Amino acid sequence: MSNFLERLGRERLYCDGGTGSLLQARGLKGGELPERWNLTHPDALLDVALGYFRAGSHIVNANTFGANRLHYPDPAELEAIVRAGVGHVIEARRQAGREGDGYVALDLGPTGRLLKPMGDLDFEEAVALFGEVARWGEAAGADLALIETMNDTLELKAAVLAVKEHTSLPVCATCVFDARGKLLTGGTPESLAAMLEGLRVDALGVNCGLGPAQLAPIVKRLLDATSLPVIVNPNAGLPRMEDGRTVYDLSADEFADAMAEIAALGAHVLGGCCGTTPEYIEKTIARTRDIPFAPPVKKRRSVVSSFSQVVEIGPRPVIVGERINPTGKKKLQAALRANDLNAIVAQGLSQEESGADVLDVNVGLPDIDEPAMMAALVPKLQSVLALPLQIDSSSPEALERGLRLYNGKALINSVSGKQESLDAVLPLAAKYGGVLIALPLDESGIPATAEGRVAVARRIVAEAAKYGIGPEDIVVDGLAMTISADAASARVTLETLRRLRDELGLHTVLGVSNISFGLPQREIINANFFTMAMENGLSLAIINPGSAAMMAAWRAFMALTGRDAQCAGFIAAYGQMTGSLFSGQAAASTAPTAPTGASAEGTLADSIRFGMADRAALLAREQLASGADAMAIINGTLIPALDAVGRGFEAGTLFLPQLLMSAEAAKAAFAVVKEALSGGGRAEKGSLILATVKGDIHDIGKNIVKVLLENYGYRVIDLGKDVPPETIVEAARRENIRLVGLSALMTTTVPSMEATIRLLREACPEARVVVGGAVLTKDYAEQIGADHYAREAMDTVRYADAVFGEG
Amino acid sequence: MALDWDRREAFRYLGLRGSAPDAATARAVDEAAEALEAAIEPRQVSRRFPLKRDGAAMDIEGLRIASRALAHNLEGCDEVYLMAATLGMGPDTLIARAQAAGSMHRAVALQAVAAAMIEAWCDAVNAGLRRQAEARGKALRPRFSPGYGDFELSAQEGLFRLLGVQRNIGVTLTDSLLMLPTKSVTAVIGIADAAAACPTGCEACDKANCAFRDERRNEP
Repeated sequence: MSNFLERLGRERLYCDGGTGSLLQARGLKGGELPERWNLTHPDALLDVALGYFRAGSHIVNANTFGANRLHYPDPAELEAIVRAGVGHVIEARRQAGREGDGYVALDLGPTGRLLKPMGDLDFEEAVALFGEVARWGEAAGADLALIETMNDTLELKAAVLAVKEHTSLPVCATCVFDARGKLLTGGTPESLAAMLEGLRVDALGVNCGLGPAQLAPIVKRLLDATSLPVIVNPNAGLPRMEDGRTVYDLSADEFADAMAEIAALGAHVLGGCCGTTPEYIEKTIARTRDIPFAPPVKKRRSVVSSFSQVVEIGPRPVIVGERINPTGKKKLQAALRANDLNAIVAQGLSQEESGADVLDVNVGLPDIDEPAMMAALVPKLQSVLALPLQIDSSSPEALERGLRLYNGKALINSVSGKQESLDAVLPLAAKYGGVLIALPLDESGIPATAEGRVAVARRIVAEAAKYGIGPEDIVVDGLAMTISADAASARVTLETLRRLRDELGLHTVLGVSNISFGLPQREIINANFFTMAMENGLSLAIINPGSAAMMAAWRAFMALTGRDAQCAGFIAAYGQMTGSLFSGQAAASTAPTAPTGASAEGTLADSIRFGMADRAALLAREQLASGADAMAIINGTLIPALDAVGRGFEAGTLFLPQLLMSAEAAKAAFAVVKEALSGGGRAEKGSLILATVKGDIHDIGKNIVKVLLENYGYRVIDLGKDVPPETIVEAARRENIRLVGLSALMTTTVPSMEATIRLLREACPEARVVVGGAVLTKDYAEQIGADHYAREAMDTVRYADAVFGEG
Repeated sequence: MALDWDRREAFRYLGLRGSAPDAATARAVDEAAEALEAAIEPRQVSRRFPLKRDGAAMDIEGLRIASRALAHNLEGCDEVYLMAATLGMGPDTLIARAQAAGSMHRAVALQAVAAAMIEAWCDAVNAGLRRQAEARGKALRPRFSPGYGDFELSAQEGLFRLLGVQRNIGVTLTDSLLMLPTKSVTAVIGIADAAAACPTGCEACDKANCAFRDERRNEP
């Protein structure tokens, strides 16, 4: 066992520098895979590592940066490459006589692929392919794993988990920042530090991308944010092209001078990246040796993060949007049962717009697979929303699935004082990181007094400490319970908040609206209780950010407690508002009437023609209220209006955005009318499947067709993008499907469309296939065996009408 | 970062074959442009390499390419620029958000404007390279991307390695060799001695059935 961890953070250690240019000087071509040289050019690798050990580097990387299954598909060759790479550095260390203070790092670089849902690499696949390399590296004698040059924090998380799950190696991780202080995927020094501390790496930092001078402000931010040792491995300045070659603008002396400033900022491990050589490291060591070293300082800040945003708990009450929770919400329940993730994401988007800082994600319904839904929804939400999430479940398995795939450091809801809960949830928080919501209740129930709740909280904090979870990562729930059942309950809750803050120094949370169950006009009680709770130290409020009264209470509190400089936030929210917020609300709840003069029916058609979704919904509701028959509205107004727009599109007098705006307006009107139809709504014309074929990630075309088909009364089973042929066939067989629509945008993915059609012909000979996409033509479609080629959006609708009209 | 992009190009992607946009389409394009201008992060990496050629077979620093169309395009060149350019993840995120919110008209407008913007960004990068070449008394051929004609996408992996595309500008490849972020382009640009008249744009490509083929430029 090496003594690396005993020295890390206690004295200044030095890494190596660049490898690529040194190997190129020895004959490696730019287009070649460099890791294969471990087998073909052992002397060159030995030579490079020896140079760094002799220059004084403590940590020297094996040439394994790109050694993974994606670049080296043959596992036997890959294992040999990894083992040889580590072996060369071990041998160099021996030859340099550095066995006592030299460390061999297994170098893990990015896969070059983007993880799902934005990309196509499965998270567990990434964990597996980093994991096997880590295992071989440890077996070959590596002392640590250095994960470097990462720019996607989700991939970085997969790599960290892989090393931890497959080995007992210490883990260091460095990322590439740009001059704006961001990762290429949007992360910041603070969000990176939050996630990596949660994952309990041993050191973190920056490498590549910039020179030491440009990295200095980023290093400073990292040092401010983290309690871990910070690694700084810059390039030899900024690159420029000289006669077709990349050269860097700093000499070894200039680099060493700049690194002295990085050392003075307090960085703990120094080295180099592109363009640096043993000379650069030697000079850096000489130049920084006498600069005093300060070990990292514990920051004890409470933060949660997404891939790009950090929310600190403490400086002001944080708002957790509570709406993604099916309890008592019929529409959300329906969306969960129909696996309609977009509807749930739309709920998240609207809470973000209303001012939520964090979104609660609870998908617990008795009849759905909660862990699987959590695993699907968390990445989906993170693909469009930058807010941190609160992973909320009573099922430890669902918690783990969500936490594992979560890109950042989540809020975890929740753990209680029950031993069973402590045993199940604390290990998850310790492994994946996160701020834990602790419910101060235990086997004997909810303590009736603040005294009792504080005691349970104290015990949870002590238990968490056994797992290395500090009090800064615990937020205790004050347990709001309705005053309609117990008049003292609000007082007990408020006292609990105050005492947790004052006696234990803990942050607190409430599901605020629980206070008013069973009462009329609940918002009145909720908003006033919210203000009282904030005044008693509430750190985190789980509320509906769409409630004007709650947000008003929060904004007023911010302004009144000096947390809203010049009342800027307050003025931004209410400066344009005329009349009273409260009476204004009352007015908004009674619907405005249609303009006089126009016949109601014509107006609804117009709103579809002009693509006004809100107005279409409003007018449909009015027509229903005035006694119109739902089916008559559909057949007499909505469908003719849609048809007119569709014909305009086909004739070339109006265009795709207009067609889609009309479709969205019609959809809004249909949704209103469907509610009024008893017996499950309007009869469907038929069910069909849509999918973007395997290998293709372009799904706009498919989604356009989906919106139109739904408006024309079809049930669309949307299988998404990058869908394997087998999945499509299986769905077609299961649902007894008569029509399948396939989309492909790239020439290179048409073969997988052809393969899908072939498979469909065998398994479901009765199913018709319509294809579309930019690269297809009528001839091409026939050639690959499709029944119909849809040139543009409306073609599929017309073809579906023909197929299902056959009866 | 402001890009000098072409509105007509965006309208062309939306299927307007030269006709005037309706009011809704014009408004959707304006809104998309405003959102995108705040969200794009144009980045590029480009480098000059020696080119070895033997008929339709080419070698760029160990990257071997067999393509008649590219060989034709690089006739008389003994050097090339490789370039990769991207608008970053911003456009993909905006498009995903619009779709999640059920607003397909916004998604298609964002898609079209972002496509016009990446084209403009490539033109700007290309112009910079042209100035460098001209300073050396050279001229550039039209840029040619993997996927054009018989220039296969399999060249992407080698090209990514040569330019350090992921590390430099954060673009990744899918299993099927498509780029993510999607608003990204890679290209080979031939460097020739004299400024010979060269075709540019759609007419330089033999994919006559491409849905986005710009017919205007084919007019004599």
